[in-house]
Amino acid sequence: MNGLSSVFNLLAYIAAAVFVLGFLNKVVLYFKTPSPLKIPTTPAPKTSMGVVVRLIPEVLFFRSLLKGGITEKILWLGGWVFHVCFLLIVLRHLRFFTYPVPECIMFFQQIGIWAGLVFPLALLILIVRRFLNDRLATITLFADYFVLGLIIAIGSTGLLLKYFARTNLVDVKAFILGLLTLSPVQLPDSPMFLIHFSLVLILLVYFPFSKLMHAWGILISPTRAQVDNPREVRHVTPWA
Amino acid sequence: MPTMEFEGKTYEVDEEGYLMDWSLWNEGIAAEMAKQDNLELSDAHWEVIRFLRDYFEKYQIAPMIKILTKELAKKYGKEKGNTKYLYELYPAGPAKQACRYAGLPKPTGCV
Amino acid sequence: MADFKVPELTGEIITPKVTLGATSGIKPFPANAELMGKVGFPAEKSADWKVKFLAKMGDILKKYKSVRVFLDICVRCGACTDKCHYYLSTGDPRNMPVYRQELMRSVYRKYFTTSGKLFGGLAAARELSDELLEEWITYFYQCSECRRCSVFCPYGIDTAEITMAAREILDSIGIGSKYNLAIINKAETIGNNLGMPGPALRNTLDFVEEEIQEKTGVDVKLPLDVEGADILLVTPSADFFAEPHIFSLEGYAKVFHQAGVSWTLSSHASEGGNFGMFIGNYNHMKTINKRIWDAARDLKVKRVIAGECGHAWRVLYSFSNTLNGPFDFLDPNYNVPQHICDYTLDLVKKGAIKLDKTANDDFSVTFHDSCNVARASRIGNEPGGQFTIPRELINAACNKFVDMAEETIGERTFCCGGGGGVLTDELIEVRVKGAMPRMQALKRVKDSNGVNFFALICAICKAQFTKIFPYYGIEMEEVGGIHQLVGNAIVLGAKEGV
Repeated sequence: MNGLSSVFNLLAYIAAAVFVLGFLNKVVLYFKTPSPLKIPTTPAPKTSMGVVVRLIPEVLFFRSLLKGGITEKILWLGGWVFHVCFLLIVLRHLRFFTYPVPECIMFFQQIGIWAGLVFPLALLILIVRRFLNDRLATITLFADYFVLGLIIAIGSTGLLLKYFARTNLVDVKAFILGLLTLSPVQLPDSPMFLIHFSLVLILLVYFPFSKLMHAWGILISPTRAQVDNPREVRHVTPWA
Repeated sequence: MPTMEFEGKTYEVDEEGYLMDWSLWNEGIAAEMAKQDNLELSDAHWEVIRFLRDYFEKYQIAPMIKILTKELAKKYGKEKGNTKYLYELYPAGPAKQACRYAGLPKPTGCV
Repeated sequence: MADFKVPELTGEIITPKVTLGATSGIKPFPANAELMGKVGFPAEKSADWKVKFLAKMGDILKKYKSVRVFLDICVRCGACTDKCHYYLSTGDPRNMPVYRQELMRSVYRKYFTTSGKLFGGLAAARELSDELLEEWITYFYQCSECRRCSVFCPYGIDTAEITMAAREILDSIGIGSKYNLAIINKAETIGNNLGMPGPALRNTLDFVEEEIQEKTGVDVKLPLDVEGADILLVTPSADFFAEPHIFSLEGYAKVFHQAGVSWTLSSHASEGGNFGMFIGNYNHMKTINKRIWDAARDLKVKRVIAGECGHAWRVLYSFSNTLNGPFDFLDPNYNVPQHICDYTLDLVKKGAIKLDKTANDDFSVTFHDSCNVARASRIGNEPGGQFTIPRELINAACNKFVDMAEETIGERTFCCGGGGGVLTDELIEVRVKGAMPRMQALKRVKDSNGVNFFALICAICKAQFTKIFPYYGIEMEEVGGIHQLVGNAIVLGAKEGV
């Protein structure tokens, strides 16, 4: 194994560790931080089951965004399509992580390609809207462009790998499985893959320290995840 | 702290010109405040001010408007015993203007 | 009348262009050293204020999941940017919820996150400075904690939580709002926000009894501090002082009278409101709330009913049990506490009181959902009861009712512009402007249905609209409580068949 391969194998482990530990750290931090008071945005469900029912459409269909006006409808389109495509692309990529490849993952191969093609368009909507609307332009930070740019770069290099800078997939799969089985092997001989892979590592490292934690936050946001039963059940926290 | 000068004496007032210590009040101060607002104090104006002072001394708070208007009705007849007339006397509002002239603190709360 | 431009009533709510600093000069009066001391805050800003600031902020981040999570997860999608009534009416970007929060989030990044510490400005991290402090004082007192933004946020991020935390931090470094702290001090020492002592309260109640007697010929009593009464009524002290609040007080008294129940007010707990909530101070909120439950215990009542007050209802409904519960000394067969609209509607439905709708035939009525009732609590036993029960009660009390546009009522209701500790005269410009979205919606039903009675169940909303209506050319008498309508319509005297 050459030096570059050693470095990238190591970086991959570091990035994975940072992602997993960083994410878990936030999960634990949020879990341990108490909610001293009942603050569900009402009307809210009266039972835990009701909260699950409230959250499902929020997670799957970004329901609250649909309450807004035209700006949010555009955002919804870009955002929802982006997230769904992202999911499909990840599912498609699972064939590099499994051996033998389960039948269900094969199902996502073709649809994953389509998702990959739509993906940059959805991201384009998400970027362009930030320029065109004066309110969005005001609130947008460097970090917002950074992460959109990063994901666009990941998507584009992926497409380039698929259509223009084709690489030996057997090598790619061997590399990934090597990482997973803790028996690292040589990097595929493909600069484009190296770029694609590096960008993914950056995303992983960036994730737990950024707004991307909304992926977990949406499930535990007290205004949505609390049960509306303050009169029936006394809500207490240690400090309060 | 903002202040108000009157007859050579300095009185502490708050940001909106209410006297900080209601017990330091005298009629001259009310007249001076009115003068600064270009308002001439009639008997009816004074009636309101005196009623507010008496009520405050007794209860440590200004009376609610209805009590005040009823008092005006007793004194000047039914047609003057209403909020509208009170606003004619004190265009900036009874709390804002009459209480201030009377040296009382501004009523607080959701009012 | 005003030294600023009052929005024109067109019936349309149009999102304005971003105008930097449009309301940057509007701040609350500071509390003086004496007042700060009375409510237990540092007298003034000290040289080491930054240390205290960060200590308090760190403390809040440990104690409030809402603040911690909300600061982390906002993606700046912009869904909230045109949802705040203050932004819609001023165009000041700091009145966009996300950009208001950014005032705190930028400090959070600087001192509490790795990226902010490492990358500073690139990560939009901001150092504490006097300039930043001024922005905090300005814009965290131009938020009415109405929670409208949280309805539209994909993660339910509630700016009210951030505003409350920010005010708590400001208080802890010696910067307080005179209006809010003076009220808290009066509530804790005298028993109500007005500072009305017991004898004055009794005098006022006597006066109200006389008024009812004169108008109806019926001897309706307003009992005070009666031990052993069944019901303790806790209502905002504005109901004892201001118009139109007082007419709702007459309404409650008539309802209790006609229902034939024993009830009482308390001089110890002569306030439903709780400004401790507005400044995000847990202890003040608890202290003020405690008076109510102490009074309930001391007077040996069986039930506690809350009068028409929005944030009081939020504290009583959502927080009371946590703050001062459990209330096992009260009758568990009734909601603890119960909202007056819930109580009255139940009596109407059971036929225990009768309402003569024609008494309100001069009125064409609409209903304004107050934010703390709509988005922070519930009335009755089913979600959404806070919308249906008041409307049912209005419909039981009058013949002509119409709702305002759907996107301006219910959970999407617009704030009156004066809630959350903003109801003070030095903020009149943001108050008048902040009422704009609601006024436009009202304008439409005025034009289409000749609405001339704007029904409410919140003391702040009543005071705010009474003051604001004239700026928009509408008579202040058009504002009133639901129990004002009930009081007009209730049939007093001998009951038939009950």
